[in-house]
Amino acid sequence: MVVNAARLAVFSPVDSTARVEAVVRRLADAIAVGLLADGEQLPSEAELAASLGVSTVTLREALMALRQQGMVETRRGRGGGSFVRAPAEIDVATRLRLIAVDELRDLGDHYTAIAGAAARLAAQRSLPSDVAPLWRSLDEMAAVAARVAPGMIAQLRRLDGRFHIEVAAASQSARLTQEEIRLQADIGPLLWLSHEALGGHDEMAAQHHAIARAIESGDGDQARALAERHVLDAIDHLIELRLGLEE
Amino acid sequence: MITDVGAGPHSQAVTEALTRVADAVEGVFGTLREVRDASARCVRRRGRPPVAADLAGLRPLLWARLTGNGVAALIAGIGFIAAPGLLADAHWYLEWWQEHPAGAPVQLLRDLDPSSSAFYDYTHWDWYTGPLSGAERTICGPYVDYLCTDEYSLTLSVPVVLDGAFVGVAAADVFVRRFDGAVLPALREIPAPAFLVNASGRVVSSNTVRWIAGSLYRGGEGFAVRPVRDLPLSLVTAGV
Repeated sequence: MVVNAARLAVFSPVDSTARVEAVVRRLADAIAVGLLADGEQLPSEAELAASLGVSTVTLREALMALRQQGMVETRRGRGGGSFVRAPAEIDVATRLRLIAVDELRDLGDHYTAIAGAAARLAAQRSLPSDVAPLWRSLDEMAAVAARVAPGMIAQLRRLDGRFHIEVAAASQSARLTQEEIRLQADIGPLLWLSHEALGGHDEMAAQHHAIARAIESGDGDQARALAERHVLDAIDHLIELRLGLEE
Repeated sequence: MITDVGAGPHSQAVTEALTRVADAVEGVFGTLREVRDASARCVRRRGRPPVAADLAGLRPLLWARLTGNGVAALIAGIGFIAAPGLLADAHWYLEWWQEHPAGAPVQLLRDLDPSSSAFYDYTHWDWYTGPLSGAERTICGPYVDYLCTDEYSLTLSVPVVLDGAFVGVAAADVFVRRFDGAVLPALREIPAPAFLVNASGRVVSSNTVRWIAGSLYRGGEGFAVRPVRDLPLSLVTAGV
C-alpha cells in the first residue's frame, strides 16, 4: 500500500499541490486584507476556476482548505454558494506560515525586478496624462486615511494596489503591467501589512509620493531605486518575521 | 508644431501613408457612429427610464462588428459605456463585447462599483473624458489597457448624445500591433524615418527603432509634422 501510494504521488500532476496552495494563499490574503469583503459571495466554482486558471478539482481543494481555516463558508440550496468570512483580526503569522523563507526572498527578488524596471521606464516614457492617475490615487489614499471609518484599510489597500499597477502601466509595457498585477495578487497584501507595521500610512505615503515625483520629473534611476527600496523594505521585514516563526 | 515642407521627392509615399492611416482610423470611427446611433435608440425613453437590459438590443450589431474582415479585423472590443446614473438599475454599466479566439464574442463582466473596486471608475479615462468634454473623435493611447484586455491598445471613442444630453460613449479597442499591421506597409514605403504620433506626442506606429511605439516624440530639428486629416494623429518624418 505504502509503495503504491508513493508511486501514485510520483505520477500525480507535478504542481497540483503547489496550485492548491497558491489559490489558498491568494484568496486568504485577499480576505485577510479585505479585498474580498466579509459576507461577499464568491463567483461560482466554474467561474472562479476559469478566472484563476486552475481546474475545478484544484479550486475545490483550495476552498476546502479555506473552509477549514474558517475563511470561507459554503451554503447549500437556493441562494447558496461560497461566502467570504473575514477573520476578526488579520494574522500575518498565519499567512506567513504558508510561505517558506527562500520563497519570500525569491518573490522579493522577482517583485523588485519588476517594480524597479517598471518605474524606470515610466519615468522615461511618462506624459503628464500618465502621471495624473498616480496623483489621483495618492490623493484618494490621503483622503481615505484622514478619516477613520469601517472598511478604510480595505479601501487603502485597493488604492495602494491601483497605484502600483498605474506605475507599471505608465511604463507602456503590457508584460510588466501583467506581472505587476500578478505579483500584487500574490504578495501585495502581505507587503501592505508589512509597510503598515514598518512605518505606518504616513511613511508609505511618503514613499509613494517620492516614486511619483521621480517619475514625473523623468528621473529613471531615482524612480527605479525608490521603487526597489519600497519593495525590499517590506520584504526584509516579512523575512524577519518569518524567521522568527516556529514551524 | 506643424511644418509644411511642400512637395518633396518622396511626397507621394507620404501622401499614400497619410491616406492609409486616415482610412484605417476613419473605418473604426465609421463603425463607432453606427454604435453611437444604435445606442441612442436603445436608451431612448419609452415612458420609463432606460435599464441595462435595453442595451441588449446592441448585441447583433456589436457581434457583427467584431467578426469578419476589414475594419472588424482591427477591432478587439467594442461597445457602449453608460454615463453613471443613466440606467435605472445599474449606476455603472458597460455593454462591452470582446472578440474571442475560440469563437463567438464574449461579454466583459466586471464589478464596476467604485465602492467595492478601486479600478473601474471609468469616468477618469481619456476615452471617456474626451467625448464627455465634447470631442467628436477621441483616440486614447497607446496605453496598457489593464482594465479590459491587458494589451497595448488604442481606444477610439465618440460621444452618444440624446436630446442634447450626453448619455455615454461608443468606443472600440484596437490593439497597437494590429494597427501597426494595417499602417506599417505604408510607412515602410517612406524612404526615411517616419512615425505616427498621437495628440500628446506618443508614438503609435513607426518604421524605425529609434522612435518605436510607446516612446515619446517631443519635437526636434529636421522633422516634418503633418496632421492626418482632421484626426488627433500626426505623421512625423525625418528630412522628407
